[in-house]
Amino acid sequence: MAPIVVLSFLLTSCGSDKSNTNTTTVSTATTSTTATTNQTIPSTTATDSNDQGAAKEATRTGVIPTPTVEAAMSHIAKTPQPRPFKLIRASASTADKVIPEVDHQPIAEFWQARGEPGEFGGTFTVGAFGQGPKTFNKWQAADVESDGICQLMYEDLLAPDPWTGQYYPKLAKSFSISADKKEITFVLRKGLKWSDGHPLTADDVVFTFDTIVRKGYGNSSYRDVLSVHGKFPDVIKIDDLTVKFRTTVPFAPILNGLRVAIAPKHILEKLTKKPVAEFGKFWDVNTDLSTLVVSGPFKVSRYLPAQRVELTRNPNYSMVDSLGRRLPYLNRFDVSIVPDQPTEILKFYGNETDFLDIRAVRGSDAATMKKRETEGGFKMYNLGPDDGTMFIMFNMNRRKNPKGKYYVDPIKQKWFESRSFRQAVSHAINRKQIISNVLRGVGLPLYTAESPASIYVDKNLGGYAQDLVLAADLLATDGFVKKGEWLYDKDGHQVEFTLNTNAGNTTRDAVCVMVVNELKKLGIKANYQPIDFNILIDKVETSLDWQAVVMGLTGDKLEPYNGANIWKSNGRLHMFNQRLPAPDGSIPVTDARDFEIFIDQCFDKGATTFDPAERRKLFDAYQEVAYDELPFIYLYSTLDITAMKNKVGNYMPTPLGIWYTPKGSLHNIEEIYIKKAVH
Amino acid sequence: MSVPIFILKRILQALPLLFIISVMSFTMLKLAPIDPLAHLRANPSISLSAIKAEEERLGLNKPAPVQYAIWITNLLQGDMGISTSGASVFVLLMQRAGNTLKLSALSILFTWLIAIPAGVAAAVDRGKFVDKMFGILTSVGMSMPTFLFALLLLMFALATHLLPIGGLTSSNYFELDTIHQILDELKHLIIPVTVLTFVSLAGIQRQMRANLLDVLRAEYVRTARAKGLSEHTVIYHHALRNAINPLITLLGFEFSSLLSGAALTETVLAYPGLGRLTLEGVLTKDMNLVMASLMLGAVMLIIGNLLADVLLKFVDPRITLE
Repeated sequence: MAPIVVLSFLLTSCGSDKSNTNTTTVSTATTSTTATTNQTIPSTTATDSNDQGAAKEATRTGVIPTPTVEAAMSHIAKTPQPRPFKLIRASASTADKVIPEVDHQPIAEFWQARGEPGEFGGTFTVGAFGQGPKTFNKWQAADVESDGICQLMYEDLLAPDPWTGQYYPKLAKSFSISADKKEITFVLRKGLKWSDGHPLTADDVVFTFDTIVRKGYGNSSYRDVLSVHGKFPDVIKIDDLTVKFRTTVPFAPILNGLRVAIAPKHILEKLTKKPVAEFGKFWDVNTDLSTLVVSGPFKVSRYLPAQRVELTRNPNYSMVDSLGRRLPYLNRFDVSIVPDQPTEILKFYGNETDFLDIRAVRGSDAATMKKRETEGGFKMYNLGPDDGTMFIMFNMNRRKNPKGKYYVDPIKQKWFESRSFRQAVSHAINRKQIISNVLRGVGLPLYTAESPASIYVDKNLGGYAQDLVLAADLLATDGFVKKGEWLYDKDGHQVEFTLNTNAGNTTRDAVCVMVVNELKKLGIKANYQPIDFNILIDKVETSLDWQAVVMGLTGDKLEPYNGANIWKSNGRLHMFNQRLPAPDGSIPVTDARDFEIFIDQCFDKGATTFDPAERRKLFDAYQEVAYDELPFIYLYSTLDITAMKNKVGNYMPTPLGIWYTPKGSLHNIEEIYIKKAVH
Repeated sequence: MSVPIFILKRILQALPLLFIISVMSFTMLKLAPIDPLAHLRANPSISLSAIKAEEERLGLNKPAPVQYAIWITNLLQGDMGISTSGASVFVLLMQRAGNTLKLSALSILFTWLIAIPAGVAAAVDRGKFVDKMFGILTSVGMSMPTFLFALLLLMFALATHLLPIGGLTSSNYFELDTIHQILDELKHLIIPVTVLTFVSLAGIQRQMRANLLDVLRAEYVRTARAKGLSEHTVIYHHALRNAINPLITLLGFEFSSLLSGAALTETVLAYPGLGRLTLEGVLTKDMNLVMASLMLGAVMLIIGNLLADVLLKFVDPRITLE
């Protein structure tokens, strides 16, 4: 992809990151119930001045501040937390506004948005690089682009507050959790309507969970997130507006799992009588778009492949502004599909788009973009560290492949098995230098399994500077000896391994070169070999034929249990010691290490514990073990930055409010508007 | 041999060729160690059962020869299968074919409209200013990578705000009347057509110039001049008609590129064409899509060659079809 590399070079004078191909983004699930208190959120705290913010960040997360962080952190997003949503009871409603009820007989209930009154009309355009959506079927969507667009069309029962991470009812009016924590009852708002005018009731909710999710129509990940020990919760309709979910054991991540778009039963029911495959084809990108029925603020009205998705306003959307007028303000929401990130930025500069999401603004571009702020009529917003983590890991697999050969050479197994070896590597890496040289200061050094963005990050786990003497001492304790230039283990074998990462990502390339250099100082010979992303994933997950890898994974700011796939020893992404699934799909575990078993227990208990303090203890414990054992040696987290044109009103970005439009910060899209006076 | 029989013969010859091309493309694609589901696998929030279901849906759990057999059986029944996104490959290709056709047809038109006269002028005024100017221009065109030229034009568009940055339609396209819709598309086509024209100009202009120079040295041209025919008649009536033959073969190749598109240009300029679709398909190993696209290219190439041969027969009666 030479042209793209050159284009980014021209645009940004080199260096790049967060290419969408690499940190695959969590799209379907996020968040937790019992969340926690405000002050634990590392990045939400509003700060007064930039440098102060960086300093606070540093003290709070226990990391070393990098000198250039402030330079790039021009505007730390300090959107003040608004009042809670207000329930407006209406006795009647028209297409434009609602008439507040007087006689205590509301026929419809609306949430009132929290921003300033805006102006109606206008088109808001965002860019999205990639191949465009693959489907407009929300329950089928598994890729970020499709899911991002579908999120504008459908709403869930509940949503996490972008300021606190606490759940608030969305389609629901309220929800309550029973004393034994096994039952959650949702009461829907009155008078909810689908875009075709059909009422949205408890039947739709029951249909969504009991038929679509439970029977695995579409993306079956939803079912797996909700299942506790393989058992799906009972979904019980109490009356037309009330639905109860019951689990066999208390399951804390359930609120997160319940974040599934409610499906229109009157449309989709006929499909669920057909084979599952039929469901996947329904509402695909070639569908007659007038047949779409939605509950969210916008609805796809036109799709031009490889060019644009046009969404128009849903007149039946169930929110009003502070003057009682029906939202959304925007007439149209356009997603402009561009092949790559540099073109997306060019279109933004050329006033063809209004917003750049966090995928589009790479750390290394931030400084260049900052210079164009005034001229370009836009503002950049720093939303703090990303939930993703970048790490180096060693293949700690001790098993044999089906041909009877060890996946990892037994000589190398001994090194990777040595905790001192992994700790030495961690101490040898100069994270601070990686951040200032490669990320241009737009990142934070990382030492913990949860990113500093997570409300569960264990702040007692401090950072450490590069210390080659300590690293050498650690190696010596396990019998490694440096003879001349290179290191030898106690049996006399030279320490040498292959280090892979995905080719074409200049950031990871640079990181790997720096890591190789630091390791060389310890006498460790790492042969760096970049390979294609798809091949890398195949090695790490299927063939298991690898030695050391630098890669990244997305995390979750609100719900650490979403890392269960990675951390539990039978996880599908337990990459440092991947076990392959048996023919029946289960992953048998026979040889877990003590620390793997301990982490398994932390996650299992964390799932069934609702008490925030207890949960924190459990997730702290797992992070402490991970910090000590270092199955993943963490390197850094990038900072999330967005850019918005000044003509757009009511933009309220927050570090936790990142989900719409693949990873955009338009959580309050219904009240975003275009200021006509300015334009 | 009469023309219809010739065409029939060539079509029959093409069938085994197409079969071999399909087997080779399929094998090469399969050998590429790309996992089409890598993105799902690397996403912690996608469950194993979802990945299994996806493998099942795309038939990835079957051995490669079986997959090929399924593919070719479907193709023979006129079904190109579905892309990894679940959409019909035929529909995907049709959506993009029109756009690519617009782009290539305009580029070929402009290329030939400029290249032929320029080649003639350069040959007639050999060594003079016109010849040297086109010499420099075509050298630049030949040596400059397409994407670089496209980028430079994009930078120009950004700096001047005169032209749109990539794409094919403006956001208000569907609110415009037909005339303005056409104007809007033309505005978006300026940069890609310029790029493709500039780049392919060189080859044809140089070819035209060389052919004409060759012919001008021929004995019958000397005879014509000796007979006292005007220079105009000599060049345009006698020499040019003989010099054009090799270019007709070239035109056949140009025909094949009508639908293959220019993947790099399309990608850099965010143009919604077939080339970009295919390139994205290759990167994600979208077997059905890439295979259909490759076969389409092969068929177009064969048709283009056939057309060129038949056309030659009509232009030059001396040629016999064998």
